[in-house]
Amino acid sequence: MGKPTGFLEYDREVPQYKSPAERIKDYAEFYLEFSSKKTETQAARCMECGIPFCHNGCPLGNIIPDFNDAVYHQNWKQAYEILSSTNNFPEFTGRICPAPCEASCVLGINKPPVAIEHIEKTIIEKAYQNGWVVACPPQVRTGKKVAVVGSGPAGLATAAQLNKAGHTVTVYERDDKIGGLLRYGIPDFKLDKSVIDRKIQILEEEGIKFQVNVNVGVDVTVDYLLQEYDAVALCGGSTIPRDLPIPGRENKGIYFAMDFLKDNSKRVQGSKVLRDEPINVKGANVLVIGGGDTGSDCVGTSNRHGAKSITQIELLPKPKTERGIDDPWPMWPQILRTSSSHEEGCQRLWSVSTKEFIGDGKGNLKAAKIVDLEWETPKPGQRPNFKEIPGSEREIPCEFVFLAMGFVNPQHEGLLDNLKVAYDDRGNVKAEYGKYATSVPKVFAAGDMRRGQSLVVWAIHEGRECAVAIDTFLMGYSNLEAKETSRYSLK
Amino acid sequence: MSQIETKSLYDPSYEHDACGIGFIANLKGVKSHKTIDDALKMLENMEHRGAVGFEENTGDGAGVLIQMPHNFFKITCKEIGIDLPDYGKYGVAMIYFPKNVVMREACRKIFNDSIEHLGLELLGYRNVPVSNKTIGKTAISTEPKIEQAFIVAKDSYLPSDALERKLFVLRNWSYHQFCQQFPENKDDFYIVSSSYKNITYKGQLTTYQVREYFLDLSDERLDSAFAMIHSRFSTNTFPKWKLAQPFRYIAHNGEINTIRGNVNWAHCNQTLFESSLFTKDEIEKLLPICDHENSDSANLDNMIEMLVLGGRELPHVMMMLIPEAWQNDDSLKDPKRAFYEFHSSIVEAWDGPASISFTDGHIIGATLDRNGLRPSRYCLLDDDTLIMSSKAGALPVDQSKVVKKGRLEPGKMFVVDLDQGRIISDEELKQRICTEQPYRTWLEQNEVHISKIPVPEKPTYPYNLETLKQRQICYGYTTEAVKENIAEMINQKTDPIGSMGNDTPLAVLSQQSRHLSNYFKQQFAQVSNPPIDAIREKIIMSLKTSASRSFNMLSQSSVHCKQITFDQPVLSNSELDALRHMSHPDFRVTQINAVFPANGTPGDLEKALQKMCADADKAILDYTSNILLISDRNTDKNTAPIPTLLATGALHNHLIKNGLRVRVGIIVEAGDAWETHHFATLIGYGANAVNPYMAFETITTLAEERYIAKDVDIESANKTYIYAIGAGLLKIFSKMGISTLQSYKGAQIFECYGIGKEVIESCFNGTVSKIGGLNFDDIAREVLVRHKAAYPQLPIVNQRLEEGGIHQWKHRGEKHLFNPETIALLQHAVRTGNKEIYKQYAKKVNDQAEQQFTLRGLLEFKGNRKPISIDEVEPASNIFPRFATGAMSFGSISHEAHTTLAIAMNRIGARSNSGEGGEDEIRFVQKENGDWERSAIKQVASGRFGVTSNYLANCNEIQIKMAQGAKPGEGGQLPGHKVDDWIGRVRHSTPGVGLISPPPHHDIYSIEDLAQLIFDLKNANPNAEISVKLVSKAGVGTIAAGVCKAFADKVLISGHDGGTGASPISSIHHTGSPWELGLAETHQTLVLNKLRDRIIVQADGQMKTGRDLAIAALLGAEEWGVATAALVAEGCIMMRKCHLNTCPVGVATQNKDLRKVFKGKPEHVINLITFMVEELREIMAQNGFRTVNEMIGQSDVLRQREDVSFWKVQKLDLSPIIYKVPAEPGVGLYKSIPQKHKITDVLDRTLIEKAKPALEKKQKVTAEFPIINTDRAVGTMLSHEISKRYGGEGLPEDTITYKFRGSAGQSFGAFSQKGIRFELEGEANDYFGKGLSGAKLIVVPDRNAKIVPEENVIVGNVSFYGATSGEAYIKGMAGERFCIRNSGVKAVIEGIGSHGCEYMTGGIVVVLGKFGRNFAAGMSGGIAYIYDPDGLLPQTCNKELVDLEDVAFEDIPELRQLIENHKNYTGSSLATNILNNWDDSIDKFVKVFPRDYKRVLEERKKKQEASV
Repeated sequence: MGKPTGFLEYDREVPQYKSPAERIKDYAEFYLEFSSKKTETQAARCMECGIPFCHNGCPLGNIIPDFNDAVYHQNWKQAYEILSSTNNFPEFTGRICPAPCEASCVLGINKPPVAIEHIEKTIIEKAYQNGWVVACPPQVRTGKKVAVVGSGPAGLATAAQLNKAGHTVTVYERDDKIGGLLRYGIPDFKLDKSVIDRKIQILEEEGIKFQVNVNVGVDVTVDYLLQEYDAVALCGGSTIPRDLPIPGRENKGIYFAMDFLKDNSKRVQGSKVLRDEPINVKGANVLVIGGGDTGSDCVGTSNRHGAKSITQIELLPKPKTERGIDDPWPMWPQILRTSSSHEEGCQRLWSVSTKEFIGDGKGNLKAAKIVDLEWETPKPGQRPNFKEIPGSEREIPCEFVFLAMGFVNPQHEGLLDNLKVAYDDRGNVKAEYGKYATSVPKVFAAGDMRRGQSLVVWAIHEGRECAVAIDTFLMGYSNLEAKETSRYSLK
Repeated sequence: MSQIETKSLYDPSYEHDACGIGFIANLKGVKSHKTIDDALKMLENMEHRGAVGFEENTGDGAGVLIQMPHNFFKITCKEIGIDLPDYGKYGVAMIYFPKNVVMREACRKIFNDSIEHLGLELLGYRNVPVSNKTIGKTAISTEPKIEQAFIVAKDSYLPSDALERKLFVLRNWSYHQFCQQFPENKDDFYIVSSSYKNITYKGQLTTYQVREYFLDLSDERLDSAFAMIHSRFSTNTFPKWKLAQPFRYIAHNGEINTIRGNVNWAHCNQTLFESSLFTKDEIEKLLPICDHENSDSANLDNMIEMLVLGGRELPHVMMMLIPEAWQNDDSLKDPKRAFYEFHSSIVEAWDGPASISFTDGHIIGATLDRNGLRPSRYCLLDDDTLIMSSKAGALPVDQSKVVKKGRLEPGKMFVVDLDQGRIISDEELKQRICTEQPYRTWLEQNEVHISKIPVPEKPTYPYNLETLKQRQICYGYTTEAVKENIAEMINQKTDPIGSMGNDTPLAVLSQQSRHLSNYFKQQFAQVSNPPIDAIREKIIMSLKTSASRSFNMLSQSSVHCKQITFDQPVLSNSELDALRHMSHPDFRVTQINAVFPANGTPGDLEKALQKMCADADKAILDYTSNILLISDRNTDKNTAPIPTLLATGALHNHLIKNGLRVRVGIIVEAGDAWETHHFATLIGYGANAVNPYMAFETITTLAEERYIAKDVDIESANKTYIYAIGAGLLKIFSKMGISTLQSYKGAQIFECYGIGKEVIESCFNGTVSKIGGLNFDDIAREVLVRHKAAYPQLPIVNQRLEEGGIHQWKHRGEKHLFNPETIALLQHAVRTGNKEIYKQYAKKVNDQAEQQFTLRGLLEFKGNRKPISIDEVEPASNIFPRFATGAMSFGSISHEAHTTLAIAMNRIGARSNSGEGGEDEIRFVQKENGDWERSAIKQVASGRFGVTSNYLANCNEIQIKMAQGAKPGEGGQLPGHKVDDWIGRVRHSTPGVGLISPPPHHDIYSIEDLAQLIFDLKNANPNAEISVKLVSKAGVGTIAAGVCKAFADKVLISGHDGGTGASPISSIHHTGSPWELGLAETHQTLVLNKLRDRIIVQADGQMKTGRDLAIAALLGAEEWGVATAALVAEGCIMMRKCHLNTCPVGVATQNKDLRKVFKGKPEHVINLITFMVEELREIMAQNGFRTVNEMIGQSDVLRQREDVSFWKVQKLDLSPIIYKVPAEPGVGLYKSIPQKHKITDVLDRTLIEKAKPALEKKQKVTAEFPIINTDRAVGTMLSHEISKRYGGEGLPEDTITYKFRGSAGQSFGAFSQKGIRFELEGEANDYFGKGLSGAKLIVVPDRNAKIVPEENVIVGNVSFYGATSGEAYIKGMAGERFCIRNSGVKAVIEGIGSHGCEYMTGGIVVVLGKFGRNFAAGMSGGIAYIYDPDGLLPQTCNKELVDLEDVAFEDIPELRQLIENHKNYTGSSLATNILNNWDDSIDKFVKVFPRDYKRVLEERKKKQEASV
């Protein structure tokens, strides 16, 4: 164990950001220097609990106390080995994970939790710096071929693991670059794309084949896929955004958030863009509908464009500032979170519903009509209801609206419908959690495509576990590391 | 009976006994009837040391051994027509014949034929006249027909000694023939004694009944020069007349802990027997000498007899079998050391607490085991009468005739030679015996120490780090094992420490491949014998081992010590290499490979084991190999290792069966040995030494991994590791009361859960394994899982070790019942009072169809009773009083956590437990709002911290902690930095000074001692129930029966898995059994003994849900303890860091900042209990039980689940757990009859009556009383009366002054309060001043005694144990362990025995005379002043914690004052002389000053100076 009394001696400390005024000038990541000595001290705060709730809180089952201990003892290489044994992409999660591990950290019961995410990121960056992250191609190939559809975190994790098991893996991506949501969905200032590139390079060196600009189901038929490959993993994500069909929706200036973000990212990264005219909000009033992370990314991006005003509204009431009776530790707390993008400037409103989009008469958006809501305390077991507060209707002037209200399900037409996979009642690909097999033989599904929209860390987790399922399907056994099952398992 | 044995958990082999023993002898050999009469009187005065069962008039057994009463027999035989020849020409066999005439005559025929066959002649039989009028029904039901056979040799010139041998052969042979013919009736025929010189009268009798039953004994014509007596206190009441003692040579008070090994070794050794004194044929007829069906004492007696009649003299034999602690005692010199060293290669010690009286008819003597854990006092009168006994004053004597009073010291012997007519001292006797042969020369010529064998230049197997990980996986290594076990052993230099018990499945329920040793649980001592303190009393411990063949035990010669010797059993790689390649004419090593094909073919493993055994036979018989090297090294992709424990057990057992085991030593080269428990199992199942080569190879990587400091070099890391394993082994031996590795080797001190019969029989024969389990193929399957992980079909990049997760929960690790989900749900439920969330929690714990954790999880309700409405079930409020929270001390948990539990329990009428740390008196007063922080249960543990009269007065229940689940058989330690001012005050100790709890209660070395403590405590608070806490293990039921017979009101069966405090990880995981087994066995045994209705049975150990409660009730518990779950309810999140004081939620910490974050509320705990009770009530309704009482013991509503598909679980048979013992009508199944405590007529009633003016008005009273040795715990109840009225304050000094004259019984002045002054003229027994709470005790010898006080023992062992305050002045000597755990008494004494001031933490002790060995062991506080004119103290003092200094100037006034007090109170001439020559004397005093204490005093002084 690192330092038994570390948590009593040291306070939580994480890298500072550049000032908002500085950082909105570009799309670069904006962390300030943080010495590894300091990170080692942060690791000393870990108490190596008898029950490491963080290890349970992490969807990947990252062995957090162990890598903290290694970091405290300055054994960074060992920390990297521990971390990479459960997480193929700590460079992603170390940057953009909301860190459920920290929410369930035991220290968090009555003190700020251990800076797990920061330590994670530091470990992997050190590993790159020291050249420990190198391609480890499998020693033997099984001769089995697997197609992975989708190159987001789920697809990449599936591919990486299956390749490790010796299978020949091809990843199909319909966009022009690998990474899925990581690539264009998450703004560069949160995840610099070189981070993806250097990892893809290693995966390629390890033997994974990447096929971009191939829309499976369109450019490549599903019959071909099923014929050519011994197994197929569907990792296409949940891509159909939730719409807001209210009067005035047809006005120009109303976009799905992902359209905005993607367009912006492609331009930042110099990729081929799908539309000639950029969605540029410079000098405009922006309304972001939806209080989640995607909405927040729209805020950050709008600020970098130089928007005149940004308002983000949310249907639900303003969250509390502390845990309550319904979300005690170690549950994920439903509390108010202020992202770095919020710090950069925006107005946030809660308990607000959008009634109507108002145009300028020329088809351009001018304003949105909103109304305040009053939420009732729900009866046990029932969903809460709200009612509008009479007389609270008002207009917010805006030329742009970004709809960031989440995603409904994966795209059915094309790939999925052609494959004739069964869907669950939410329209996701039906495959039991833990088994990942769809209704179609040798076809598996993982990530948002199966579970619906979720976190990157869940996608990686599903990808890894799906790989175990596919490996077992192909070989009759699997030597891949699984989250729950030990290799000493007797079952 | 036998059917019950197979179906239930009860097993007669668990029975224990402990006893009162003694003898009276006339030094000059003058025979008289008075000697016998006096001995019987003495026996009768030991009644309280014996026991009775549910019938008061059925005793556990008693008897007397006397010399052949030739004159008596001559006359009485004449009357029946037998004409006896002269003394020495005939023998008498005292025989128990069956009552049944047909059987009897069959026996008689065997016996008569044997007489004829052996060249003897039967003169006739005499019916032994008996009167069974007063003996109980149970004893009568098996009462034998007792006859004496008179036998002469056909050859009338046969010398008496030769006749004696023939009589011995006759006895054994006729019995063996009987057993062969009537294997079902072995107990029906028994020859009590058959000798020409001695005869034994004994039976299943109480001490009083011996005289009444055997009419001969009252016949004035019956005479003897000595009489040896024995009174038995057994844990059982199944009548067995033959278990009564004395046997033929000894009377034994104690317990041979290593008996299984001793009998196995005897079984092998006998194959080598040869003697000129017996013919070959006779030797065959004698065998077997020992067998597993006999009691330990009986086997010891048999062994002694064989060795004596084989040609050694009796004291010599006693020295061989019960040697002194010679290995580590530097003061022990040749020739004695050589004698013991030599004999250790002939026979291992029969180890365990033992006080033994022995006689061969010519000499009579006594000896104590090396640790001296049984009392033995003697008294010599001026008429040459010697009285030796377990207690002083057992036979009242005229004090003016007393010449000498003394005690036997540990390892010492005391012999009266009746032929020479004198006492022979230990020194004289041993000097003679030890110089009879040139033992040292023999050793020098033949013994080879491992260091003398040349090591080959190049290692046979160089380290290979490339394949290390793969091999680690193959042998089952995990990250946890490497980091938390091996590395921690090097970092901490000891077994690693953990806390919060164990909530992982038993190995057999685990779905991960577990190490084979995990199926074995270490046995430990509780009640029937004491564990040892391997640290503070290491002088008696030894790890020495040796290897090679043995030779004929009946002779001695130089070849007998041709052995390779080792200082300890963990061999380095180079030592093993030296052995592997040695070329020496005396030794030949053969390697036996322990591997099997890895392709999974059924039968392969068993075949491989058979091949190993065949290879071994061949090596021994064809190649005369005398060392076998079992090696599991030769593994590869196709070859898997056999678990070395299995290989060793198989080979050891095979070689025992065919008698070859004594021809070889077994060395194990084990890849799968890394933690202490692995070594313990290997040695316990027969290995002489072990080489853990994989552990050494692993150590080479630790610095790189930063698991140990970078600068530790490998050589010293290896050494530290070996040292830590050794220390861990000593701890494991000591918790069973075993001192030496030699005795532990092959002693099989384990019980087993989950290994099937065939494996047990061939590899672990005799090990208790009650619930069945794996066969060879199953074990192979577990190994092959690891093998496959190590050698996967396709190579894996970056292979990592598995997590392990046994101690720390991990996703991929072993499963835990308390895990992130269950903890979160439980805390959410109790904080919100939401029953639905509790149900989710309970479902996760209870439903074990998929994932098995507990045995109870494998049981289900049959549903064979009609459900009732829940409204018909008794209300929750009725059930609440059946709850207790676990014993957790203030000190281990915070004040906040502790009082929250107390308030919660008091609110619902349940009971919280103080734990062993005392309790602040402010908590005794109820708060204004009605809340009460007083713990209803006050615990009395071995440390006795804060156990005062007032503490005991303020409770409803007193719990004697015999053991705790997390570390049975071990003591605790509270480091000084944790003893803050508050804890120090509550524990009556000095803040800042570390505290040690001894492993045993030093007033409980046996079951009759426990009865004494129960009696003491009952006197200390007559209104409190007395409870005894035991830890579940095989045999706990039998101990519980003994506890019941010792008049406890309650027995707690604690599961092995509980435990909130810190303890070695190896104890947490490898000791004790689940409560399901212990509880069921307890209930079954108590019902069988018809004792169940006399005692409440409580169960605890990971009780988590209402279902757990229901199962416990059905298996026999009427009360439950909840500890871990209660802690979780108040905030514990299973950090398992209790030992580090860093609990981040303020539960298990004393850190002020952390205590502030404690968030628990009494309501949370009450919610937990309420939820559990509601769940229980639902189960009761479903199963048609209206009350809990109706449920108790109704195990037939349970059955084993059949829907669990896991293959390992399917091998288990839980029917012994749910077996319902058929009870006769009227036998109660739960407590309904109060115990008879025998405190109504105690002397204290009179003392209290006389003290009324003092008690009521604080007026001074004085009075005088005679006292005898059956007056026990005098002053204790009187003190209770004071505490009740005046609390801890007591009365003003000397308010009650009482004078006593005579021999005081045990516990004189125990827990005596302030205001009392007792003056005793005469002597006192053990536990004098125990728990003294402020009183003043003065002892002087009887005014008529002519003894020199400072040379005579007038106070027994273990005086002032746990005393907290008061004064004492003793004119005379005390026995061993004077002022042990004293924390405040000031005492002046004129001489003491060994282990003086052990674990003392406060007070002042002045010793004006002798002091024994190991003075000041574990003494962390207080001061001792020793008058040491000869400068001997530095050699005998244990200086680990203390410094010896000159008396400082500022100490002088107090020292002088104490000695002056002594002079004034006792009239001591010793004190007078010292005072008269004060200036000279003061220089001869040595101040024994504990370093810790000194530091604290200095710090305090500095602080004071600073503040001034």
